Amino acid sequence: MKLRFDRRSVLKGILGGSAVHVGLPVLDAFLNTNGTAFASGAPLPVRFGTYFWGLGLTDTPTGGTRWVPTTVGPGYELMPELEALASLKDKVSVFSGFRAIGDGRANLVHWTGHASILSGVAPASASKFDAPSFDTKVADAIGASTRFKSIDIDASVSRQPVSYSTRSGSTFASPDATPLALYHRLFGPDFQDPNGENWKPNPSIMLRQSVLSAVTEQRHALMKGLGKDDQLKMDQYFSSVRDMENQLAVQLQRPEKAEACVVPQAPNDPTRISSVDVVNANTKVMAKLLAMGLACNQSRVFTFVHTSGASETYLAGQSKIYHQITHDEPTDAKLGYQPESSKLAGEVMKGLGAFLTELDAIKEGEGTLLDNSIVLAFSDTGYAKIHAIENIPMFLAGRAGRRHKSGQHIAGKGDSVTRVSLTAMQLAGAPIGEFGVGSMKTTNPISEVMA
Amino acid sequence: MQRLLVGIASGGRTFMTKTISVWALFGATLLGVIAAGAATPGPAQSPAMKVGVRRITETQYRHTIADVFGPAIRLEARFEPERREEGLLALGSAMLSLTSSGFEQYFALARSISAQVLNEKGRGIAVACEPADASKADDTCARQFVAQYGELLFRRPLASAEIESRVKTAGLGGNQAGDFYAGLELALTSLLVAPDFLFRIESAEPDPADPQNFRLDAYSKATRLSFLLWDTTPDADLLAAARSGAIHAPDELEQQVERMIASPKFRDGASAFFADMFQMDGFGNLVKDPAIYPKFNQSVAESAREQMLLRTLDLLVTRQSDYRDLFTAHDTFINRSLASVYAVPYASKQPWMRYEFPQESERSGILTDIGFLSLHAHPGTSSPTRRGIKVLEIFMCQATPQPPANVDFSAVQDSTKGTVRGRLLDHMENEGCSGCHRRTDPLGLALEHFDGLGQLRTMENGAPIDVSAELKDVTIEGARGVGEYLRNEPRVPACLVRNVYSYGVGVKTYGRDKAYLAAQTQAFIASGYRYPALVRLIATSPEFFRVIAPKARSSKPVAEATVTQLQSTAE
Repeated sequence: MKLRFDRRSVLKGILGGSAVHVGLPVLDAFLNTNGTAFASGAPLPVRFGTYFWGLGLTDTPTGGTRWVPTTVGPGYELMPELEALASLKDKVSVFSGFRAIGDGRANLVHWTGHASILSGVAPASASKFDAPSFDTKVADAIGASTRFKSIDIDASVSRQPVSYSTRSGSTFASPDATPLALYHRLFGPDFQDPNGENWKPNPSIMLRQSVLSAVTEQRHALMKGLGKDDQLKMDQYFSSVRDMENQLAVQLQRPEKAEACVVPQAPNDPTRISSVDVVNANTKVMAKLLAMGLACNQSRVFTFVHTSGASETYLAGQSKIYHQITHDEPTDAKLGYQPESSKLAGEVMKGLGAFLTELDAIKEGEGTLLDNSIVLAFSDTGYAKIHAIENIPMFLAGRAGRRHKSGQHIAGKGDSVTRVSLTAMQLAGAPIGEFGVGSMKTTNPISEVMA
Repeated sequence: MQRLLVGIASGGRTFMTKTISVWALFGATLLGVIAAGAATPGPAQSPAMKVGVRRITETQYRHTIADVFGPAIRLEARFEPERREEGLLALGSAMLSLTSSGFEQYFALARSISAQVLNEKGRGIAVACEPADASKADDTCARQFVAQYGELLFRRPLASAEIESRVKTAGLGGNQAGDFYAGLELALTSLLVAPDFLFRIESAEPDPADPQNFRLDAYSKATRLSFLLWDTTPDADLLAAARSGAIHAPDELEQQVERMIASPKFRDGASAFFADMFQMDGFGNLVKDPAIYPKFNQSVAESAREQMLLRTLDLLVTRQSDYRDLFTAHDTFINRSLASVYAVPYASKQPWMRYEFPQESERSGILTDIGFLSLHAHPGTSSPTRRGIKVLEIFMCQATPQPPANVDFSAVQDSTKGTVRGRLLDHMENEGCSGCHRRTDPLGLALEHFDGLGQLRTMENGAPIDVSAELKDVTIEGARGVGEYLRNEPRVPACLVRNVYSYGVGVKTYGRDKAYLAAQTQAFIASGYRYPALVRLIATSPEFFRVIAPKARSSKPVAEATVTQLQSTAE
């Protein structure tokens, strides 16, 4: 069917006065001379993301470790399981010795650790968080001006899509789980090239806005008579509708130019195999797409899952999965650690290395996309053999637009993991001063890494 | 299957017709009735209480769209992931909302459906009225359209404000685009993304017989029946019984349930229920290591799922046989992909054929289908613990708690030698593990003649596999032993009864349900363990429609009737 719109009618704000946002073209969206900011003085945006992998890194029963640097502060030495980060070491801070504190709640295996890092509270039951994951707070703070408030990605090739991002604690994000799905989300038919010529607002988007207003008009009647739990569900539903409205409003504005944005080709989906080499390859392809999505201003926030908590990944051709090996493999008497587990941990960290390398490959201003990002990478456990929630490996990668004094090793000495989470939120520019519940409540970020 | 909903009710009588043109003829008159009815305030417009909100599942969505708009509508979308609670996705759906990316998907899907329904080919069928001028808005025709489809999609008549907001959308779009149908498309999209469609919102009203208490209102009753028996939105006949209030009368209720069980759509309802109860949602993403299981591919995974469903529906719906035969029957269905994994010849030109394993075969019952065996295993190996947990959880409603966090596994022997049994025996001797592993492992160990893909074997790492197993008071031998054990286990029928009830009402069972469930179980046994009889019993019982105010719910579940979350961390 044909829609008869022209730019003039759009700019006049038609559709009977329904909420239509038409942004003025950004004509001064060019970088300043040293490339750290727009000419208008606005700095290049900081992007925030989380990166999760399952099964931690390897400790030894005698208290040693295969990943914690021996020195504290800048210029740490890379331990064997962090080899994959060698080329990016200066942009990555390592946090060791931080723990999840349950305040009497049981350690729910492969759940309590990352639930604590993300929600600030040890959850009462597996499969739920007791509070929203903090990436949603960051998304609310810095993600509203882009098409997507957040992009959720799962590279794990698992049986069910995995995401640990949640607003309600019970409904988790439905992530894009294949490269092609991610490509379509970011660069599908509704993508507007920020560097394209002859941009015009798409009139069909305004019609979509009117579809949503017919829904939101009924909100009051719908909420009436609902029980408390059901109201929460409907609150989340309407919050999702608002995100869609915001998405449409953003698309009616001329996009700011983005020098690094080059629209990629559609990828091929890999064969569905969950061996670690395939998951790492998947991670690389999806990271590349995500990086370009960020560079093209489609989103400023993401959550990325490499492998799930009780990861099903494995070395191709090996009958046992990594998870089983972490539990079953004896500690080698001579080496003092579990050699197979440690090898797999190293393989899994190659995923993180590949991921960060893709972010670092995009030149932006005088640095790279990674320099303008802050990524919290973390796992569900410390020493997986005993489901430890002490010494959970956590990293902050990227310079957060020079806010992050990167390249340091911080020893937590038993402090709560939420201190690292709060640091990540503040480096991302979210106005959040306190995070966590009970013993994990903190107002104290790790100032050593903050400029 | 032809599932176009073409019955339109009028004056208590229902016209069912298979031709679309007749439908269009009826439409013009009857829509007026519906629209007029919607404008008058009734119980549906001012419910005293909303007692439940459940997100509709992917199959419910698909069945509804096929019923309302015809089977030709293509649905290409990713649906929000569902979640299992106490063994059922149906219970999880009562806890889920919609995420931003999920809404985005539903929005795109709604736009695609509306465009297909109202394209030049479709609009003549879908729109019963003619606009005065197709190049601009027509509120009267739009109002009829919104009222008609609104009732089918929301499963109740729309309040006038709900209609008018869509009429407004249709008007703005129609005038702006210079196309009446463009406006209508927007209005339909708006219905399809409304929470009233994407969620089942159940309402209660004061019970006239007992005004102190509430009862489910008529439309919510019709919806509960329709989703349990058919996995779809109520048809015109059910809506008419709701509109007239006849559904509250026991006789009418029984007649409706009989009619629904006799319908071909009952098979869809059973299919959705058993796919949920038997946890068949993991097949789409099932992965196996290609070096270890070269015969596995996505076609095998999908066929394995289909086989489990075919076996179940043939036995329980088509033949209306004894539920317990599910665990012991030697006959099943196979296709060419499956025949290769089962290592049996495929001698049919049809895509599927009935196949009977010999009496002495270890393949007997649903537990020996490669679907069950491969789903509850690892990518490169079998998992007796996981299989044992699933037998207990799925068929006996027995929960297995989370494993303890700080287990010392250092005594566990090297598993590249011998069979898995030796390794698990260590668990059973370890104090922290034995409580659960003594329950879960024996059933799984008895299935060890099937590898991680479900292929028959008798040796592992060069050693013969021992498939005998000691349960608390019985010794069982191999897969047939497990089948016989389940056949005679009283918790098996009780678990099915609990699941049908919970699935239908969308609420966990509690202590107060104990006597009711026990009585239904006895009646189910008395019926000869017939599934349709069980559905009839539950769907016609007052308890199926009982209303519990959301805040008054007890928080204490009955221990033996509950199942905890899937042990994704279990070995």
